[in-house]
Amino acid sequence: MNQTKKTTRRGFLDWLIAAFSAVAGLAMTIPGLMYLWPAAKGGAAEAVEISGAGQMKPGQSVTLQVGGKPVIVVRGRTGFLAFSASCTHLGCLVTWETQKKHFACPCHAAVFDANGGVVSGPPPAPLPPYVIKEIGEKVYVSAPA
Amino acid sequence: MGFPGPIRKFLERRYDTEVAEGFLDKQIHKRLPPHTGWLHVFGSLAMLLFISQTLTGIMLLIYYRPTPDEAYKSIQFITGSVHFGWLYRQVHAWGASLMILALVFHMIRTFFMGSYKKPRELTWVTGVLLFLVTITFGFTGYLLPWNQIAFWATTVGTESANKVPVIGAWLQYFLRGGDSVTGETLSRFFVVHVIILPWILAGLIGVHLFLMRACNLATMEDVDAEKKIPSEHGIPFFPVHVAKEGVVAVFLVAVLVTLSVVAPWEIGEPANALSTPAHIKPEWYFLPSYQLLKYFEGEYGAVIGIFACGVPFALLVFWPFLDRGKARHPKKRPIAVGLGLIGLLGALFLGYLGHVSETEQTYFGQRYHIDLLGWPNKIVEGEDAPSEAPH
Repeated sequence: MNQTKKTTRRGFLDWLIAAFSAVAGLAMTIPGLMYLWPAAKGGAAEAVEISGAGQMKPGQSVTLQVGGKPVIVVRGRTGFLAFSASCTHLGCLVTWETQKKHFACPCHAAVFDANGGVVSGPPPAPLPPYVIKEIGEKVYVSAPA
Repeated sequence: MGFPGPIRKFLERRYDTEVAEGFLDKQIHKRLPPHTGWLHVFGSLAMLLFISQTLTGIMLLIYYRPTPDEAYKSIQFITGSVHFGWLYRQVHAWGASLMILALVFHMIRTFFMGSYKKPRELTWVTGVLLFLVTITFGFTGYLLPWNQIAFWATTVGTESANKVPVIGAWLQYFLRGGDSVTGETLSRFFVVHVIILPWILAGLIGVHLFLMRACNLATMEDVDAEKKIPSEHGIPFFPVHVAKEGVVAVFLVAVLVTLSVVAPWEIGEPANALSTPAHIKPEWYFLPSYQLLKYFEGEYGAVIGIFACGVPFALLVFWPFLDRGKARHPKKRPIAVGLGLIGLLGALFLGYLGHVSETEQTYFGQRYHIDLLGWPNKIVEGEDAPSEAPH
């Protein structure tokens, strides 16, 4: 036996109030969530001058921030190399070990070679390279485009 | 029991005080199961610690400044210049660890006595949620001193969030308030630690207590065979059990003050975003997860590791719905008790390995260098300890 459920005026009003409440709730939630989302900050493409680059000897390194991210710059025999200093495992900062010619992470003993490739330890990926530009006496490092 | 004369009359003229007094009287004189004893005080102990954390937290808030420039200095000021500031800071820091310890013991007691079974499944679920919220309290509070260990422990912790499949990168960005741990992260953790989590925890405690009182404490009888406790057999909540809790409270204050004096938490070096200290380790309650994560390498290693760390917690939440046997007594539940013991000993073992990894230890008169994964390597006299893990 087929019975069509009749919508009462009270039932319709209940439904309408529920729908309006849901829309109003959503309308208030979305701006709230957007507010919580971190506001974007500029600087991703900035080029940072390496202070004292001219005085660096082959094998020496320096860690600096580029666009708010740590970058390690190593002076090689032929020029400068730059990589993200954040270990790709869990984000600790790698250091350049001059004698061993590799990058080492102090947290979980990861080792990267001079080109940023993983030699040993848990990192899932190599150290991302950064771009070096030498303009006259000055040396700049920036994130890859 | 009741209010003194004038206040009582004032209230009686306005409210139905008999209902409120009847409710309180029933709660205070409730009869607990006959086996209720010292093992049943850990829940109250955790709640006492929550109260202590709230009070000492409010005291610390008066002088604490949640910005990268001022956070570390304000902690130094609290410790060095404010009257009894050192004590409140130490009691707050030690209280966090003891609260987690009290919850762990409370959960162990509940698990092995089978108290999570019907009709108390939701009491257990809210209890596990309380435990998870308390751990989050520890994680968010750890960053607030803005020292080296805090900064890098948070960097590693939030980097772990990046390994969560699909939403990892967004989650990490959201938690940090940007790409890396900065003042934005400090603000977020501060708000979560002092505003959001306390209310969530207070609400959960309320629900947990309500459910606990609604079903009373579990007896050792099987599910659906529990008998109502006759008043002449049960343990009176007041004064018998409350007296035990009072003893524990006094003991707790003594332990907190003693630890604060004998083993104070160091402030350490201020945070430096350009230098990671060697061999940083998380707090003891994160050591099992920290150590477990090390065994998963390669492209998907961290993802599998995060999953492996999450499984025990998921099992804990849903355990009452997985173990549906009627027996409560541990002797009648060999599988559940066995799994519980394996989980507990596994966590202790991993935690110990995490604690000793990358250190030198002496076992039976022989020096060993414990590598990253926890393997002991003999140190031969005259040789340096290996600097890298051979595995």
